[in-house]
Amino acid sequence: MRVPVPAERYTGASVRRVEDERLLTGRGTYVADVQLPGMLHAAFCRSPFPHARVVAVHTEAARHAPGVVAVFDGAQMAEMASPVASLVESSPSGGKVSFGILVVDKARLVGDPVALVVAESRALAEDACELIQVDYEELAPVATIEQALDPNLPAIFDELGGNRLFGPETRVFGDVDGAFARADRVVRASIHQHRHQNVPMEGRAILASFDPSSGQLLVRASTQGVNTTRRMLAQQLGMPLDRLRVVAEDVGGSFGLKFGASREEVACCAASRALGRPVRWIEDRWENLTVSGQAREESFEVEAAVTAGGLILALRVQMVIDSGAYPGFAPLVVDTIREMMPGPYRLEALSFTSSGVVTNKATYVAYRGPWAAETFVRERMVDLVAQELGISAAEVRLRNLATRDEAPLRMVTGPSLAGITSRDSLLRAAEIVDLAGFQERQRRLREEGRYLGVGFATYIEPAPGPRQEGGEENTEQVRVELDREGSLLVHTAQMPHGQGHRTTLAQVAADEFGVRLDQVQVMVGDTQRTPDGFGTGGSRFAAMAGGAALHGARRLRGKVLEAAAQILDLAPAELDISGGELVGPGVPGGRLPLAELIGRIDLAARSGQLPPGTDADLTATQDFDGGQSGWSGGTHCCVVDVDPATGLVRILRYLVVEDCGDLINPAVVDGQIRGGVAQGIGAVLLERSVYDAQGQYLSATLMDYLLPTSLDVPHIEIEHLSPVRLDPDVNFRGVGEGGMIAAPPTICNAIADAISPFGAKVLEQHLPPARILELIGAISA
Amino acid sequence: MLDPEVGPQALLSIRLQVNGEEREGEVEGRTTLADFLRDQLALTGTHLGCEHGVCGACTVLLDSLPTRSCLVLAASAHGCRVETVEGLARNGQLSRLQQAMWDSHSFQCGFCTPGFLIQAASLLAENPTPTEAEVRHALSGNLCRCTGYESIVRGVLAAAGGQEPAGEVPQ
Repeated sequence: MRVPVPAERYTGASVRRVEDERLLTGRGTYVADVQLPGMLHAAFCRSPFPHARVVAVHTEAARHAPGVVAVFDGAQMAEMASPVASLVESSPSGGKVSFGILVVDKARLVGDPVALVVAESRALAEDACELIQVDYEELAPVATIEQALDPNLPAIFDELGGNRLFGPETRVFGDVDGAFARADRVVRASIHQHRHQNVPMEGRAILASFDPSSGQLLVRASTQGVNTTRRMLAQQLGMPLDRLRVVAEDVGGSFGLKFGASREEVACCAASRALGRPVRWIEDRWENLTVSGQAREESFEVEAAVTAGGLILALRVQMVIDSGAYPGFAPLVVDTIREMMPGPYRLEALSFTSSGVVTNKATYVAYRGPWAAETFVRERMVDLVAQELGISAAEVRLRNLATRDEAPLRMVTGPSLAGITSRDSLLRAAEIVDLAGFQERQRRLREEGRYLGVGFATYIEPAPGPRQEGGEENTEQVRVELDREGSLLVHTAQMPHGQGHRTTLAQVAADEFGVRLDQVQVMVGDTQRTPDGFGTGGSRFAAMAGGAALHGARRLRGKVLEAAAQILDLAPAELDISGGELVGPGVPGGRLPLAELIGRIDLAARSGQLPPGTDADLTATQDFDGGQSGWSGGTHCCVVDVDPATGLVRILRYLVVEDCGDLINPAVVDGQIRGGVAQGIGAVLLERSVYDAQGQYLSATLMDYLLPTSLDVPHIEIEHLSPVRLDPDVNFRGVGEGGMIAAPPTICNAIADAISPFGAKVLEQHLPPARILELIGAISA
Repeated sequence: MLDPEVGPQALLSIRLQVNGEEREGEVEGRTTLADFLRDQLALTGTHLGCEHGVCGACTVLLDSLPTRSCLVLAASAHGCRVETVEGLARNGQLSRLQQAMWDSHSFQCGFCTPGFLIQAASLLAENPTPTEAEVRHALSGNLCRCTGYESIVRGVLAAAGGQEPAGEVPQ
C-alpha cells in the first residue's frame, strides 16, 4: 500500500482504511474461512418447544450415523463444563440462577441446545441431529412480561420461585414529591420498546483446537474482545488462563452481541478438549435469529410533573425489563438507563423503579446503545408533554435543556454535564431543517390530504463523559513499541469488527510519534500479546484507546529522543522525529532513519555506552482514563411523509447535528453515524423479534425479520459541531452508538407528528404500516 | 423417524470455469456452489450470511448473471463460468470498482463486501453510468448491517465516474 507522507496531520483526515484492500479482494479471514487438519464440525440439536421438561435424550442412532465422532447431551456436557452462574448483582432483591451449557433438566426457549453432535462435516453433523430423539414434557410457556408476573404460570427457574428476576427496586433523586406538588399538571404514558436484535452479517463462530500434548486450548473467535472471551471460557471450562489462547482476526459485525462466550461456544471448546481435535461451529442464520440473543424489550410507566410554561420538573418512571430465558446482561443495563434518564435536561427530581422478569424467549443481550430506552422514553415524553400543552416539541426541548453557563451543571442522578452542546445541536438542527418553513408546508399539505411530520431527539452518551468525582476506576491500556525495522507497533485490547481501528489508532499514533501511517501497525486480537481490557464496546474506542495511544506514543517518543540525545551528545530539545526519521540540526546529515537509530540505541545499551538511568527499553505501556473528555451527543431530526391509505412511511429528510469531539477520521465517524441511524430506521419501520402467544418464534429467517435495504435508508445529512475541548490533549469521543440511540425516538416523533391530526398517540417504537393504520383508525387493532 | 441411512451421498464429478481457470471437483449432490467454492477451491472470499438466499453475501456471477451461490447446487454449475470476488483484481491491480469502494470508505466489517462487489460489477457491466436510484435499486437485494448503504452507493457512483470519491488522503 502506498501512503503519501502528510504535509499535515493524519488525525482529522478521511484516510483510507488499511483494512480495506484485504477485504475488497476476498482475503479477509473470518472464523469460517479457517480450516485446520483434522477439524471437526459441530451442530446442535435444539428444542422445538419454548418451555418443556426434558425427560430423556436418545442419542444412540446419531452416534452411529456416518461421519459422527461424538454426541454429547446435557448430562455429559455438565461433566465437561461448569454451569453458567448468572449473578444479579445490581439488585439486593435479585434472584441468582444457574444453567447448564446444554439443557440438563428443561428447555427454556425455542432453540435451546439439547445435544451437540460433532462430525467430519457440517452436513453430517446436521444429519445426525435429525436422528436424536428427545422426550419432552411440555410446560406452559411464559411469553410476555404480563405472563411472567402471573403467579399461576410455572417458574422457568425453580430457584426463583416465580418469574420475577429482580426488583422492584426504587431509587429517588431530588425532591420528587415536592416537584409533583408544584406541578401544574401531570402527563402520564405507558411506553414500550419492542424486542429486536443485532443481526450481524456474520453470526457467532468459534474454532476450538485443543492440543492434548501441551494441554493448550487455542480458540479462534468472532468476538468484541479476546480477553473477555478467554476469561469466560476459562471459567466455564475450569482451565487456568495461561492454558487458553484466544485469537480473533476479521469479525463480521457484532453490535454488542459477541461479548464473552456463549453456551454453544463453551460447548465446542469442551468438545475439542474431550476429543483432542479441532471443532468448528459456524452459527447459521436460523440459530442467529432464534437463539443468539435479542434486545430492547422494556416497558415503562411514566409520569411527568410539568408547569404550564412547559418546564418538566420531575419524572416518576417504573420500568420492567424482559431478560428472556437465560439472564445475563439485562440486570446490568438497568443501572445505566436510570443514571442516563435525565439526559441533558434540567430535571430536578427523578424516581426510578426497576424490575426484571424471565420469559421463554431469547436472552436479552447488549445491542448498540443498550441503555437507549432512556433516550426513547424521555424524548417521546417531551413530545407528549408538548402535545398536551400545545407548545412545539422543539420549544419544550429548548426550555428544558441545560445550558453550559448554569450551575449546578449536572444531571439529577449525579454525572456532570460539563461541556455539553445539546442546546446548540437542537438550535442548529431546527435552523437547517427550517422548522418554521416546514410547519407552514405541513399545514398546507394537510389540506391536500398529505401527512408530513417532523421529529427531533436530543441525547448525550457517556463516551466516556466528563471525569466524575468518585467515579469508578475505568482505564484503557495501550502498549506502544518500536521494532528493529522502525515500525511502531500499537497493541490494543480494542477488537475492531468494522470500525476501522487498525486505521484510526494508527493515525493518532503516527501523528504523535512522527512516523508515516504505513510505519504503524495496530496489533489486536491475541491474548498472548493483547493488553488487558474488555474490548470494543460502549463507544469506548476514540477517547479511551485513542487517548492511551496518543499518550503512549508521546512517552515512547520522549524515551527515543532522550536516548538519541545521549548517543549524539545533543539536547533532546534539539531533536525531533518526523516522517519516520530523527531530524535536527545536530544530526549527522540532518536526518537519521528510525531503524538505524534503534540499532544504535540497542548497541549502545548493550555495550554499556548509555549513562545509567537512560531508559533504552523502546516500549511504553500506557493507561488512560479518558482524561477530562466530555459527552458525545447531539440532535437528530427527521421529516416523514405518512400515507394514510397504506400506512407506509417515507423518510423525506434525515439530519444529524452532533458533537463527538475532535474527529480522528471523518469518513469513519460518518460511517458509524449512518450505520447506527440505519439500524434505528430498521427498528422503527421493519425489525421485530416476534413470538406468538405460545412462545413460538416467528422471525427466524431474513424473510421474516426484515433488515433495511438500500431502498429503505435515505441520504443522511451530518453536521459536526465544534466541541468544547475540556482536555488539554484528548478530545476524541466515542461515536459508535449515538446513531442507534437517537434515531428511533426521532423517527417515532416524526411519525407521531405526521399522524397527530388523527388523534393518534404513539407509545411504542415499532411502527410498521399495519400498526400505523391501526393508530389512525383505518383498521381495527 | 427419518431414514437412518442418511449420510454421505454418491459423488458427482463436476468441471467448471472459475475466475477464468478450469476447475474440477467431486461433490455430493447436496453440496452448494458456495460450499464448493469455499471448502474445495479455498475461495473463501465468497461469504455465507444466511444460506437462504436473502442477504446476498454469497453472490457470484454464474454465466455472467449475479447469482446466490448458497441456492445453487455445485453439480448444477457443471460446465458454467463462475466469477467470484477473488477474480475482480487483475495482476494484483484493484479494479476501478474496488478502488472506488476503497476511496469511498464503502464498507466496514467486510462480510457483505464480496456480494456487493459482484452485484455492483454486474450493474456497471450492463449500465456503465447508472443514476443513484438505479444503483440503490440494483443493490437492494444485498444486505449490509454496518453502513446504512450511503458509502456503498457513493462508491459505485464514483466507479462509474459520475462523482468524486468521498475519501480524502492527505497529500
